[in-house]
Formats: sequence, structure tokens, C-alpha cells
Amino acid sequence: MTSPNGLICFTNCLLPLEDGSLVQRDLWIDERRGVILDAQRTFFLRKQRPERIIDLEGNILSPGLIDIQINGAYGFDFSVYDGDDEAYRSGLKTVAERIVETGVTSLVPTIITQEKTLYPKILNLLRPYTPPSSANLLGWHAEGPFIQLAKRGAHAPPFIIPAPEGLKSFENVYGPENLSVTEDWLMAGGGEGRVGVRMITAAPEIEGVMDSVEELSRRGVVCSIGHSIATTDIATTAVLSGARLITHLFNAMPQLHHRDPSIIGLIGASPHASAFTPITSPVSSSVTHNFFPHKAPIASTNSTPPSHTPSHSHTSSSLVKLTTGGKATSEAFDDHETPPQTPMLTKSSNAFSAEKLALKLSSKGPRGELHLEKGRVADMAFERPFYELIVDGIHSHPNSIRLAYGAYPEGCILITDAMKILDPNLRDGVHEWRDGKRFVKEGDKLYLEGTTTLAGSVVTLGKCVRNFSKFTGCSLGEAIKCATYNPAKCLGIENKKGTLRSEADADLVVLDRKGNVVSTWVGAKEVWRRDRV
Amino acid sequence: MRLIIRDDAAAVGEYIGNYICKRINEFAPTPEKPFVLGLPTGSSPIPTYKVLIRLVKEGKLSFKNVVTFNMDEYVGLPRDHPESYHTFMFREFFSHIDIPPTQVNILNGNAQDLITECNSYEARIKKYGGIELFLGGIGEDGHIAFNEPGSSLSSRTRIKTLAYDTILANARFFNNDISAVPRMALTVGVGTVLDSREVVVVVTGQRKALALSKAIEEGVNHLWTLSALQLHKWALIVVDEDATAELHVKTVKYFKSIERVQDEVEAMHEALRAKGIPDNEHNIGSMD
Repeated sequence: MTSPNGLICFTNCLLPLEDGSLVQRDLWIDERRGVILDAQRTFFLRKQRPERIIDLEGNILSPGLIDIQINGAYGFDFSVYDGDDEAYRSGLKTVAERIVETGVTSLVPTIITQEKTLYPKILNLLRPYTPPSSANLLGWHAEGPFIQLAKRGAHAPPFIIPAPEGLKSFENVYGPENLSVTEDWLMAGGGEGRVGVRMITAAPEIEGVMDSVEELSRRGVVCSIGHSIATTDIATTAVLSGARLITHLFNAMPQLHHRDPSIIGLIGASPHASAFTPITSPVSSSVTHNFFPHKAPIASTNSTPPSHTPSHSHTSSSLVKLTTGGKATSEAFDDHETPPQTPMLTKSSNAFSAEKLALKLSSKGPRGELHLEKGRVADMAFERPFYELIVDGIHSHPNSIRLAYGAYPEGCILITDAMKILDPNLRDGVHEWRDGKRFVKEGDKLYLEGTTTLAGSVVTLGKCVRNFSKFTGCSLGEAIKCATYNPAKCLGIENKKGTLRSEADADLVVLDRKGNVVSTWVGAKEVWRRDRV
Repeated sequence: MRLIIRDDAAAVGEYIGNYICKRINEFAPTPEKPFVLGLPTGSSPIPTYKVLIRLVKEGKLSFKNVVTFNMDEYVGLPRDHPESYHTFMFREFFSHIDIPPTQVNILNGNAQDLITECNSYEARIKKYGGIELFLGGIGEDGHIAFNEPGSSLSSRTRIKTLAYDTILANARFFNNDISAVPRMALTVGVGTVLDSREVVVVVTGQRKALALSKAIEEGVNHLWTLSALQLHKWALIVVDEDATAELHVKTVKYFKSIERVQDEVEAMHEALRAKGIPDNEHNIGSMD
């Protein structure tokens, strides 16, 4: 059903605003242009009002959910390309068509570490694409290969590499055409005004990564810190260089150590620490001798103690050498292969990064003045990065979720990090996986058959929103913001996606007051609707 | 003039909303002969708008064949500004009812030639055959529309400089920044309001009590422009108890008693009609 004059008014609904509040207000959209309208201008200037009115019966009309980290769904794995472009495209299409039932209207397909010659091809196939009546595929998120072996999760060790030539190494792996400045890249992808994003998760302590972050960011690539053991100084330097996101916070990174809070500490970055020359953490030197201080069973038995070379490289000279292959675990989980405790970088390498950080900070001008204004926080030398949270109740404890959100609500982004098994219609029980392995699905939990090894996330983003509201105690509107406006802002597309601003794309999801998806709209067209019970 | 007294602002809104609904439905407007309605902004009419919106949603009232003229608009304030009267009317009323946008008239405070804008506004009202019912509110100084104290009681639509008191009162809508409050407005004149066939004014709250007393208990006076209503043939003022604070007890009692008597008369005629006895409506007494 279309509107005679092409305008639709949603009424009797709650709109989540960008400040996290929910307000009772109508929303007008334009079916023909597929955008949200400035209702007042339409009324007074265009002298039109919608001829189709949809009563949402008190439900919530939210911007469509945005998943910026998802490995696959409905049986298709974004990371599996066997040379058949058509098969790959058809897999993408299936995911885009079906994922709308989970309330997602935009996603950034994420590929885990690949054999490096595959990247140019896959990234090219992952240019922005919106099949009819489907979610928008916004571009790509390359997680790896420039990551930390010690925090690799399910990434295949042989493919994990450093970037000795800096940006050139990045171009060699991803393909220079895929890393061109945003305009060129979007132009090549076709479609005017189309939203397109590129994301790279890398470990800044890996050789060549830190020096590339600034240029990658300048070219419009969102650099995310992840699968890393960066110290506080290194992580801070990365943010000052342009990194604006942390990949699945808490997972695949050192756990919070109060003397060197590392990557997690960035969400609590202090104005004080950002104003003074940082002190090299004493933790580094003291811990290096006791590399795996806890006695938990570790897959790697041939670890060598780190030597004190000033290298950032991940190679065995400075870090533990881990066994290759083996267990199939969650992309983000690493607890079975590497200790939750932090393997620390050597003291000398940390001192080196402290110098860099001091240099970066000194260019930001003097700070640290005391002030008398209650409620105001002193100026920071840098914005704290956004951070992703997998809110399936498994990858992070609800307490951890609340801790992070309390520290920096504006930076919080909900992701699924889902595996290809994601399909809310899939029944619990035993299913085929790959390489003759089978898995057991129990709600949002996935186990390898016959084990208690978690095989990754299968939670939907809609469920993450509901979980998040429960875990943190925040309102549904605030939870929605973390799956709409915040990811859009991180990607720099908040004028078109994740918002109800006028002229934004009319990608919408109707949620009931319990956060369940009622219907989904993309480009002002209804693409999915829950059957009435 | 009739004065209707209700307990509180919500009850006032209920009364006026139902009254306007009844008037529009009895008028039976058509595209050729629309009902022409004058409308105010401000906090006083909001309860009335809420009732009208409810009646539209319940299907008891439609604005399909209603043409509206607003009383006033600031000069130089962008149409989209949160405090513009365009924004107010859209947010509080027009977005929720079924009125076609082409039938909405609001003065353009950003017109190149403001005098021409005012004159053409008057001409447009005339073209529709005048305003059938003008709903209004008043300021603490008794102004109707932006016809501040001292306005000519025969004034027409024009540019008006705002009284300092009004600027101060409105500063609360501009982050308490007095300098941000527009200094001028376009407004219909007292004469424009008096020309409409019926005038309904809502007066609520204790702060308006003195103005109400000046408007109805003393003589016609340009310092309290609402008092010009005493010259109108068909005027209705609906107030809440708070707004009667400055009235004589006698005045309040008089208007309450006459409302009661009027109700009795109307009930009697209703009963006669129910029995099938022919009844001439024009024989019903009037409170005007």
C-alpha cells in the first residue's frame, strides 16, 4: 500500500531522539525519495500533508539498527570466498534480505583475517550494496590481518602479519584502490549520495600500524583498536593519531589493570593524563618476567619469554609464540588460547611510545587548568574513542557492560559480532557447521558438539538492545541510541543513518515497548512485518 | 457578552473545544463555503487545542473545510525557529488535525515588504467573507493578539512594536535572553478581531485576573484592548476560577446565575423538540 501523494505519517508512536529520550511525536517520510521529512517545512512550504497515516498503536519508531561488526548470518560467512563472485554476491543478498527481521537496516560485513591475496577481491565485492527490499550493506570492516597474535581469537595465525612498510603494507594487502580517499572509492562504488564506510581493526603495537593510522583516517577509513595488547600509552597515541573505535571491548585485549589500564582504560581517559607527559607504567617491566602469571591451562606450550627488544613486531622475539590452528572458537573469544591476564609489551618499547605520545600531546596545547564549574569536565586533549560491546550476556558480563556504559555512554556501540549461524528462526539443537564439525545451539549460546567450547555469537542486534537495557538499567531509548545514532556517528554517517533527522534515509524499525521488532522499513518501504499473533 | 466560569484551565479547554466543535458542525462547512476560524498562540489555548485534536481523532470533528487565520507572528524570526508561531501552530495543533495546509494562513514575518503582507492578509480574510469565529487569548496587560496597550481600537493588520513588558514576559522562551526576543511582530488589529462574527476569548490563571476585570468591569479603554469586546455583538469569554480573582463577587455571581438560567431555558426547548412540538429556535433567549 502506498500513499496517494507519496507521503506517510507515522502517528501514535514514541520517537527515540539523539539524546536518548523517547518522545511522543509524529514522523513524516517521503516514499518516493526514501527519506525522512521536515514535517513543518513540508506543511508550510510544500503545502502538503501525508495522505497515508499509519497508527503505530503506541509502539516505538526507531531509526533502523546498525550492526558494524557481523561476520555472517543465515548460513553465509562474509569471510568465505571461494572464487565465485556470483555465489558471494548471492550470499550477501541473502543476508541483506533476511536480516531485516532482526531490526537491522544497515550492516558493515566484517571479514576476519584472510590469506592476504584474497583481500583486494573480497573488499571490492563488499562495496556498498542494497538489494531490493533489503538492509543496506554499507561497505566493509576488515578485522586483521595486522593484529596481535597473542590476542588473535579465532583468527588464523599463519595469516596474521605485521606492516613493516606502514601504509604501503596496508595497500599491498587490502589493495590500493580499496584504500583510496573516500570520494574516489564511493564514486567507483557507484550511486550518488550513497553512504559507504570502511573500517579496519588493527593492533597499534604491531609494526607499521601506528604510523598508518593517521593517513588511513585522513582517507576516511575508520581505524579501530582491537586484537591488541597495546599499553595505555600506545593505545592513547593511536587515538591521538585518529583511531576512533575499540573493537569488541573487553574481548581480545588485556584486561583492565589499574596501573596500566591499556585499551579498556581509554573509555575512562582522564583529562589529567591527557595533559601531561605520561609516566611509563611500572607494570610493564615487572610483569614481563611472569608472562602467564596464572596457571590456567593454555593451549600454547612452547611459549618463550619475551626478550627486551625495542621492536613493535609481534614476532616471537618480543612476544610469545603460540601454536597455530586448532580450536574453533568465537572470533572475539581468546580466553582459551591466551590468558585473560595481560601479556605486556617490553619496557623499552613502551618508553618509545611514551615519547611519541608526549610529542602528540604537546601539539595539542597546554591543558590542566583547574575550574570552578560544577558538572563540567575539564577539556580533553582528545575525544575518547567509541567502543563496541557484544551484549549477548556471554562475551561480557552484565556488570562489565554497565561499567563501560557508565564510564562513557556517548561512545557505546552495540554489535552482534555474529557468526554465519545467526538466524533467529534456527531451532535449538545440533546443526552442521564446517569441516565436518557440528555445533549445538542453545538459545544465544553455541557450543561445539560434545564440548563446552563456545563457538561464537548468534545473538541478534534487537536482542542486544533489549539485553543492554536490562544489563545497564538504562531506558529503551538510551539502549536504542547505542545501536543507531552512536554507530552512525562513529562512522560519520549520522546525517543519513541512525537518526530521525530530516533528509536522513527513512530506514526505520518499529519496536514494541518490550523492544521486540514489529516491522522494518528501508528507504521508506516496509520490508518486513511480524505476523500478528 | 457572555462570561463562562469553569474550575480550571482543563475544564475551560473542554468547554471551548466542544463549543467550537458544535459551531463548526452546525455551520456544516463545504469547500465552497468553508468555516473561517481565527486562532491564537500562547499557553492559554493549548487545552482547547488538545480537546479539538481529540475530537478530530474521535471522528467527531473535521477541519477539511475549515480555513484558519492566525493572529500574529514575530518579525524576522525564521519560520523554523522553535519559538516562531508557525512552529507553535504546527507542533501544538496543525500536525495533529486533518486541515489541508493550503487552508492555513499565518502572517509572514519574513516578508520583504511587511506592509504589503499585512494588507494582503486583510484582503484574504475579506475574500473568504470574513472570520466566522475568532478564538483569542489575552496578555497580562489585557492585550489581544499583539495589540498592546494604547493600540487603536479600530486598528487593522499591521506591524507592531512590542511593549517592553511583553518582551520581558517572552524572554523565558528565548533562554531568558532578552536581546534574543524579537522587537516587532505582525498582528491583526483590534478592528480585525471585532469584524469577525463571533469572538471567543480564553482567560486562565491568576496573572490574568486584573486584565479580565479591566476588560469587563470598566469602560472601553485602549489601555486594556480586550475591553473593546464590549462593543461586539457576539462575544464569549471563558475563564477559570483563578482568573476571577479581581472580579467583584457580584459580577461572578451574575454570570454564573445567567448561565444556569440559560441552561434551563435550553433544556426546556430541548424537551419540547423531543415531544415533537414545533419550536422556533430564535425564540431562545441569548446571554449576549
